[in-house]
Amino acid sequence: MSRKTELVLAAVLLAEIAIFAGTTDYFLTIGNLFEIGRFTTALGLLALAMTPVIVTGGIDLSVGAMMGLAAVSLGILHQDWHWPMPVAIAGALGVGAIGGGLNGACVSRFGLPPLIVTLGSLALFRGVAEGLTGGTASYSNFPAAFHAIGQGYLGGIVPAQLPLLAAAAIATYVLLQRSTIGRAWYAIGFGDAGARYAGLPVTRRLTQVYVISGLAAALAAVVYVAHIGQARSDAGNGYELNAITAVVLGGASVTGGRGTVAGTLLGLFILAVLQNGLQLAALPSELVGVLTGVVLVGAIALDRLRSSRPPSLPASSQPVASQPSQELSMKNTQVAAICIAILAGAMVVAGTNAWLFRALTRNSAPAVAGAADPSPTGRRLVIAMMPKAKGDPYFVSCRLGAEEAARELGVDLIWDGPTGLDAARQNELVESWITRRVDAIAVSVENRASISTALRKARARGIKVITWDADAEPDARDYFVNQATPEGIGTTLVDEAARLMDATGDFAIVTGALAAPNQNAWIAVIRERLASTYPHMRLVTIQPSDDDRDKAFAEAQTIMRVYPDVKLIMAISAPAVPGAAEAVRQANRRDVRVMGLSLPNMNKPYVHDDIVQTVVLWNTTNLGYLTVRAAALAANGTLSPGATSLDGGRLGAIEVRGEEVLLGTPLVMTKENIDGFDF
Amino acid sequence: MIVVARHRAELSIALAIAGLGLVLAIRAPGFFVAGNLLDVLLATLPVLIAAIGATLVILAGEIDISVGSIFAVCSVTAGVLAVAGVPLPLVVLIAPLVGALLGAINGALVAWLSLPSIVVTLATMVAWRDALRWITQGAWVQGLPAGFQWLGLSQASYPVAALIVTAGLALAILRGLTQVPAGRAIYATGSNAEAARLAGIDTRRVRFWTFAAAGALAGLAALLNAARFSQIPPNTGLGLEMQVIAAVVVGGAAITGGRGSLAGTILGVVLLGMLGPALTFLGVSASWERAFQGAIILVAVGVDALRARRVTTMVPRREPARV
Amino acid sequence: MLTATAIRKSYAGVRALKGVSFDLAPGEVHALVGENGAGKSTLIKIITGAVRADDGALEVDDEAVDLARLTPARARELGIAVIYQQPALFPDLTVSENIALTLEHGGAWRRIDWRARTDRARDLLARAGAAFDPDRLAGSLSMPEQQIVEIARAIGAGARVILMDEPTASLTDREVDRLFDVVRTLRETGTGIIYISHRLDEVFTLADRVTILRDGETVMTAPRGAVTRDEVVRHMAGRELATVFPKRAVTPGAVALDVRGLTSTTAGVFDVSFTVRRGEILGLAGLVGSGRTELAELIFGLRRPDRGQILIDGQPVTIDRPADAIAAGLAYVPEDRRRHGVVLEMPIAANTSLANLAAVSRHGLVQASRERALAERFRQDLQIKASSVVANAGTLSGGNQQKVALARWLATAPAILILDEPTQGVDVGAKAEIHGVMQAMVERGMAVIMISSELPEILGMSDRIAVMREGTICAIVDRADATPERILALALARPAAEATA
Repeated sequence: MSRKTELVLAAVLLAEIAIFAGTTDYFLTIGNLFEIGRFTTALGLLALAMTPVIVTGGIDLSVGAMMGLAAVSLGILHQDWHWPMPVAIAGALGVGAIGGGLNGACVSRFGLPPLIVTLGSLALFRGVAEGLTGGTASYSNFPAAFHAIGQGYLGGIVPAQLPLLAAAAIATYVLLQRSTIGRAWYAIGFGDAGARYAGLPVTRRLTQVYVISGLAAALAAVVYVAHIGQARSDAGNGYELNAITAVVLGGASVTGGRGTVAGTLLGLFILAVLQNGLQLAALPSELVGVLTGVVLVGAIALDRLRSSRPPSLPASSQPVASQPSQELSMKNTQVAAICIAILAGAMVVAGTNAWLFRALTRNSAPAVAGAADPSPTGRRLVIAMMPKAKGDPYFVSCRLGAEEAARELGVDLIWDGPTGLDAARQNELVESWITRRVDAIAVSVENRASISTALRKARARGIKVITWDADAEPDARDYFVNQATPEGIGTTLVDEAARLMDATGDFAIVTGALAAPNQNAWIAVIRERLASTYPHMRLVTIQPSDDDRDKAFAEAQTIMRVYPDVKLIMAISAPAVPGAAEAVRQANRRDVRVMGLSLPNMNKPYVHDDIVQTVVLWNTTNLGYLTVRAAALAANGTLSPGATSLDGGRLGAIEVRGEEVLLGTPLVMTKENIDGFDF
Repeated sequence: MIVVARHRAELSIALAIAGLGLVLAIRAPGFFVAGNLLDVLLATLPVLIAAIGATLVILAGEIDISVGSIFAVCSVTAGVLAVAGVPLPLVVLIAPLVGALLGAINGALVAWLSLPSIVVTLATMVAWRDALRWITQGAWVQGLPAGFQWLGLSQASYPVAALIVTAGLALAILRGLTQVPAGRAIYATGSNAEAARLAGIDTRRVRFWTFAAAGALAGLAALLNAARFSQIPPNTGLGLEMQVIAAVVVGGAAITGGRGSLAGTILGVVLLGMLGPALTFLGVSASWERAFQGAIILVAVGVDALRARRVTTMVPRREPARV
Repeated sequence: MLTATAIRKSYAGVRALKGVSFDLAPGEVHALVGENGAGKSTLIKIITGAVRADDGALEVDDEAVDLARLTPARARELGIAVIYQQPALFPDLTVSENIALTLEHGGAWRRIDWRARTDRARDLLARAGAAFDPDRLAGSLSMPEQQIVEIARAIGAGARVILMDEPTASLTDREVDRLFDVVRTLRETGTGIIYISHRLDEVFTLADRVTILRDGETVMTAPRGAVTRDEVVRHMAGRELATVFPKRAVTPGAVALDVRGLTSTTAGVFDVSFTVRRGEILGLAGLVGSGRTELAELIFGLRRPDRGQILIDGQPVTIDRPADAIAAGLAYVPEDRRRHGVVLEMPIAANTSLANLAAVSRHGLVQASRERALAERFRQDLQIKASSVVANAGTLSGGNQQKVALARWLATAPAILILDEPTQGVDVGAKAEIHGVMQAMVERGMAVIMISSELPEILGMSDRIAVMREGTICAIVDRADATPERILALALARPAAEATA
């Protein structure tokens, strides 16, 4: 195999480590390196199992979806069927093996292209997971011993899942590179006809790689659930592409025959270290994607330049393609030069980005002396604040208020979070902030059970922990900035709907993603209140919008046609309200009212046109503003246990009830008052 | 007979569509109200245009999973330009151009560096998406000029115009693929790249231009989609690549290149596009929609493979089949 | 009409052509012979523009051609066409389009006239002596039919220089005759033909002049009458070769393999029965397409029979997959060396052990040292010319690759060895060595079945010869009774010969 590829990758990894060790003080600590291992385990299991798949010339796009299906299976087996935990785990692994077997059979027995088969089973597995849970159910309350797999430490420092990853790596190495089975996989990758003529059991071997891949996905799901504490149908969403990226970066050839476990591990850790290092340097996480793209193309281009040199002997008697070899015969020195150029390019990109970012934060906080060089005396507070999802307009508006407060108070604000809903990424960020030793952490919690462990750890290190928007376990945080409870929101929504439709008739809900926990909590409250208070209102259907305006639009169109008697559409995801409103406007159905939970700016045109009647929300800018104030006051000791109010700046005195900072009641925005809000 | 045999893939999807239509006609005739069909059609047009681009790429034996990201970049670019006061006709022109540029980057890496397209487009997909997230920070493009929605037309006339443009485009590309040497060169490249090269076809140029065309079509799709609304969210087009590839494959194209038709792709888009609304009309819970999609894809490739098995292929493929 | 002078080409420092000169007159068939690796393929690629020469000159019709700028398209404009052994067709496109794509010129955006394409294709196919439907997909054609498409392309291109690279390697004799007719017709119209073949019979039947290449250099060029077969062979190899086969009589032992009534309609094999004894070579003769390879694949478990019985050492065995066949002591060295025989991208050692991994592994883990030792042993036994057993098989010459394929199966210590075209496309020296190995194996008591299209090989090496025709064995002839005419007659089933058989 190509030792050289691995050496180049090792050099890249070392360069990364050197750069991050040089730029942030927190990177090169044992604790941090172990944490990188922890967050890499689930992905690592997928990537390790993906290596043999790619070696045989295949691909498995369904692993992320299989994580979702296996997670849901685990939940159902343990909590609906009341199987003991070990048996439930075995059952989930069985589901993984069966799903992998389905892929394997399609690929090996029927000779279907793996890309397409697993594209289909991706949709199938995710679809079955969503179908089984109705998209809404999720499972938590797993036994504590089970959580230890995902959250505990061996000897107080080694994350519990790290040995599992190591064992999986060794097992994959032995199987792929040392065993007779692995030899067959390589032979199949170079050409399955040749392998069949050599008497190798091609069908069985090919099936095996997909079964192993399915099993590994299920195992990753178990580890993931143990880590996060909750099993949902959207577990592992998008992981397949990350796993493939790691494997390909590790030098495996997508045409088959080439790929090693060492390469995959290097590829995996290059990505993981990049992500972790950027977090520690408080660079935005979107950079990860950009740099991953650059590194991926760079690495593979480099590999191609090197491997396309013609064989040393003109052995062929047939007109074999010699296309690339003509233009691309290169010397080692040239390869090295290109390697350096690409690396330098990537670093320049990272550098300019870092500079730009600092310049931007300096703009927003004029008096900043630079976050990276805290002077020992009178150093500025660093507050790290995390939304559930960075790009979500709701959180974007929270950020405005947060930055406003940071400017007023003269604190440094780190704003980072997952790009989509991703509980594991939230944990990862908290860990990196702990490593970075920020003064206060403020989190909008995606998953209560999973993040609490990390938050407790932060508290133990003397970092003040605030939750906002959604709460963690009470003992895991100092204060919760409570904008509104699910009961408050649900009740307000349904009461407002009742007002608009005179408490009688049909209405429909357009929600966010099917598995979104907030929306599902609200829906539960809405159903309860309908049953108890509004017997004449009928909820006819709930359709998902996946937080996509266009999909909400299409769903609203369909709802109006299928349920022509619907008097009102309640959209409970920020992009869904304008989506549904646009549908109503284009259909010219003035009799259908639209209301829901969203942001004022994107709805103003519709509110003024009388299409959207009511937008329910709290003042998100104020929420961000208050959160940063509370965090700063807690960190400098002004806000201490027993306080009954805090200085809310432009919001005046704010009530503190126990450990809850109360923002106030939900806002009900209508035509009359909506222009007063700008976020 | 030969005509039937050669178009069996298209026929079987047409049958599937007819079957679904029949069920709808019996159980939910409301589906066939003109207004609903128009809604479904309008929502499907952008996917269709992007799928035409994907068909070109897949016929040439490559794959492009970056269309969703290109779609998003073009949507936002068009919106930002329109807000900045760039005249509408210019915006209409620039959106596909930006798409073509991004597609050309894919194409250059695939054609001239001979990199596997799945890796290249995986990289650019992640890179463009995250770059866009970074720059916009998730903020929607708002305050578009009045004429942007419906591109200066009315709500009634726009669908007609969009339909005409799409139909004209599809027809032009259909003719290009079947009646013009440039189009046949795409089939030839996907069928046997080495033979194509020996036949004097510049396979690199073919690859490059199919990617550029796919990018331009993604840009056009983005424009037509954006024009249906008055604001532009930057997270648009997520998962579009999978939708599009699924449609092409359901349409009977071989993922290894050289075999497939535009008609098949169009039927594939129609089948997958009507599935979601159809399930709602039939009262099936939305949570099962994706499972149905997966089943359709698997059945389609399965049927295709069984059919291919009967036609014994004796020409040895010169290149290892790409994934 | 075509003159190449002092052509040089190196691949990554290895000199493939060290200065080859060659000329072709109008209406001439000029044979180019040489062992594998002598540089024939490289020379073709240079003349057709597929590969760029480092140095040298090329003149076509007394006009200098810029070798540095020669592309396939430019070569075609110059009237140079090439027909490869394995035709480079588009399996997903129709025959008429396959022909049109190489013939039509003009803008990339002009309108295609499909009717004209079909008519032209039908006409060209007729001129190449075939009459199949031009609307068929090329992927559904048999190998000879595909070759005819290639020839039709060349005819259509009005090519004045046609290069034929091993055109008859996979053709039946009747098709060879037809091909020769086409070649003669082309010659009469003034076309120059460069004819490359390992089959010296064909060379002496067809060629006007012969040029011999060895190690990237021109050794000699001579008119057909001025050189004998032996001289050609001597010049190719650079040494005297025993023209006799290393055949020594071995007393046959017990029946090793007994095939009874083997039938598979999908494979096109019907009711085949025969036996092979230990220490015996059974030659399997017949035309391409007579079902020889399919029979071997049935016996080896690569295909499933509809009915029939296989007995090994008198015991009935069930063979559902190659693994069963290997367990029963069978080995099969397939015809297509590059796709089936060896894994080009794997080291020699891994190739050698691939069919018998159990022998070099413990607890399912491959032991590198034992694997290398095994490969090393066969490298010496079979005289595989390689720098080391960790070198990739793809770096070897065709003959040495074939020896690696052989080593893989000898490593399983089989009782019955099936060889499918064991010396096709193999140079003369390696051929003799492979024959030597076969003889050594039967002397050790192995039963060998040898499929070959080369009559001298069949006649020279076989103890008995089974002739296949249309999917079944039509006769089994003892060595003593076998003559080339008789075997050929049986294979072709000419009525006159049928009477005597």
